[in-house]
Amino acid sequence: MENNYLKRKKILLVDDEEKILEMVSSFFVREGFENIKSASSVSEGLCLAKEWNPDFAVLDVMLPDGDGFLLLKKMREFTDIPVLFLTARGEDEDRLRGLGLGADDYIVKPFLPKELILRAENILRRYYKHENPTVRLAESVIDFERAEVEKDGKIYPLTAKEFELLQALYRNSGRIVTIDQLCEAVWGENPYGYENSLMAHIRRIREKIEKSPSKPVSLITVKGLGYKLVVDDNK
Amino acid sequence: MKSTFKLIKRFTKALIFSVIILFVLNVVLLFSVTYTSLSNAGGWSAADELSKALILSPDGVYTLSESGKEILKERNAWAILIEDKTGNVIWHSDNLPEEIPMHYSAAEISYYTRGYIEDYPTTTASMGDNLVIMGHPKNMYWKHMTPTFDYQMISNIPKYLLLFSGLNIFVIFLIYFISTSGVLRSVKPIVNGIEELPEGRDVYIKEKGLLSDLAKAINRVSEKLMRQERELRKKEEARANWISCVSHDIRTPLSMVMGYAGQLMEDESLSKENRKKVTVISEQSEKMKNLINDLNLASKLEYNMQPLNPKDVSLVAAARQCVANFIDSDDECKYPVEWKIFDNISPCIIKGDKNLICRAINNVLNNSRCHNPDGCNISVEVKEKENEYMIVIEDDGVGVTDEQLTKLRNTPHYMLSDGGTTQLRHGLGLLIVQQVAEVHNGKVCFDHGEKGGFLVTLLFRKTK
Repeated sequence: MENNYLKRKKILLVDDEEKILEMVSSFFVREGFENIKSASSVSEGLCLAKEWNPDFAVLDVMLPDGDGFLLLKKMREFTDIPVLFLTARGEDEDRLRGLGLGADDYIVKPFLPKELILRAENILRRYYKHENPTVRLAESVIDFERAEVEKDGKIYPLTAKEFELLQALYRNSGRIVTIDQLCEAVWGENPYGYENSLMAHIRRIREKIEKSPSKPVSLITVKGLGYKLVVDDNK
Repeated sequence: MKSTFKLIKRFTKALIFSVIILFVLNVVLLFSVTYTSLSNAGGWSAADELSKALILSPDGVYTLSESGKEILKERNAWAILIEDKTGNVIWHSDNLPEEIPMHYSAAEISYYTRGYIEDYPTTTASMGDNLVIMGHPKNMYWKHMTPTFDYQMISNIPKYLLLFSGLNIFVIFLIYFISTSGVLRSVKPIVNGIEELPEGRDVYIKEKGLLSDLAKAINRVSEKLMRQERELRKKEEARANWISCVSHDIRTPLSMVMGYAGQLMEDESLSKENRKKVTVISEQSEKMKNLINDLNLASKLEYNMQPLNPKDVSLVAAARQCVANFIDSDDECKYPVEWKIFDNISPCIIKGDKNLICRAINNVLNNSRCHNPDGCNISVEVKEKENEYMIVIEDDGVGVTDEQLTKLRNTPHYMLSDGGTTQLRHGLGLLIVQQVAEVHNGKVCFDHGEKGGFLVTLLFRKTK
């Protein structure tokens, strides 16, 4: 329900291997994505990107008439849609080059379908968050556009730090986000020694989103490690 | 350069030693020679004896006693006696040469006493107021005509001696240094070249001068070493590239196996039995995926082709992230992880590559999962010791036998071994753990756990 707007996004797949295209496209279809088109070369991909205006692209690095980096560079001349690289090359330089060019993520083959879909959904959710800014939790709804939480018909505004923490948790919803990752998201480089402040912020967030903050169901503590945001997406 | 200084030092020592030896030798020689020729001063004592051997008879005639004659004969000398008042010769020996004058003025006496009479060296003695002059053969003595020295000079002799010897030593050293610096100059490039050889740098020495043969030989050795290294490097690169290519080619087909197997696993219409089979396919292909990744990384770490870009890495954060990911990926909760850490521990920061460190921790965690398909409890602990940080990962699973442990500790991985490959060796996963630790100047210890499982300790030295 919440993710319906995501499923309508137009997805462009570019890979030189016909069978991979078929498989990846079947993953997306299974997950309910409706608009998927595929290309098997740089020129074909570029053509589609221009005419069809996709919302998201999954690119292979090795293509018969160039590489995915080149394709991304050319695409960046007219669009800034999110891009995920899917490649058989695991070298660090490749990874950095892809991310340096403005790719949003990078998956090395072989991969599990679940992993690809999760990452793609995360990217889409992050990128198109203004289209559906509300996130439904067990007891409340977060509105990222307005930076506020609605619980029992009451509106609670979020502070800047609380907002950033919730975003970091939401980006990885359903997964443990470590204390260090959260501190880094809020306090940036050199995020050591903020653990007590982090706990204070988490407590305040819970007061806003949980029915009983001492027994949280949406923002769960994983002892010693970090926190997990459980999103109610009616699946 | 060090060896050149040593050489100079040794040469200088030898030089000082030989100067001292020479000095002593010369003094000894001088003394022995002057001692034997001291008797030559006997010319004067002979004249004294002669004056005593002259006898004045009562009638005023002088005669020479037998002993006096003996003295003259022995020395082949002649003698005259000059009267004090007249300056006339009042006695002379029988062998007096004709050219000797028979009368002397006071001035002549003074001159002849100091020097020669008609080239005959003289010595004198007194006999009462008269003067005995003894004439020796012409080549018997050399006489110093003006035996006068400045008193100042005599009293300064020790000073002069010191000055002279100092000057001498200085000049000797100067000559030595000038001559050796020439040799050293031609030796220096060769010494430098040899010193650079073990560092694997390309060495070229100008093939000129005294030691051109040596220079040529060193250049040839350097060329040979460089060529060998290039070839070795090429081979290693080829091997690493080969591994990387093969793993690349396996990735695409494997992603299809994994992809479809993963999809089938979620297929509700599949029978329970078939779902089980698909799960096995999926799990095994996941293992293959890890193997490929490990193989690639291991070969890169082995040949140091992956430049390690060191940054500040918090071991606590890295371990925490790995544990979090591990828990997230453990859908069935078969491998609960206990995270043990002191609340007030420092972030445990070292200089290193975060991806590699995470890879090592993941590999240890996956190792526990691999060997305990029925599940086990895992505990992860980060500790701080005086000089090092420790990440201790322990499980309560099947553990290892002593035999396996010894093998694990001592047997190299098949990739690093040139022996037979039939022996059972441990998997790539733990090899990578070892390599990652080594790249970070750390260590890995494998042991039995307290709960009978497997215990891995990663040690990292503290960065200053």
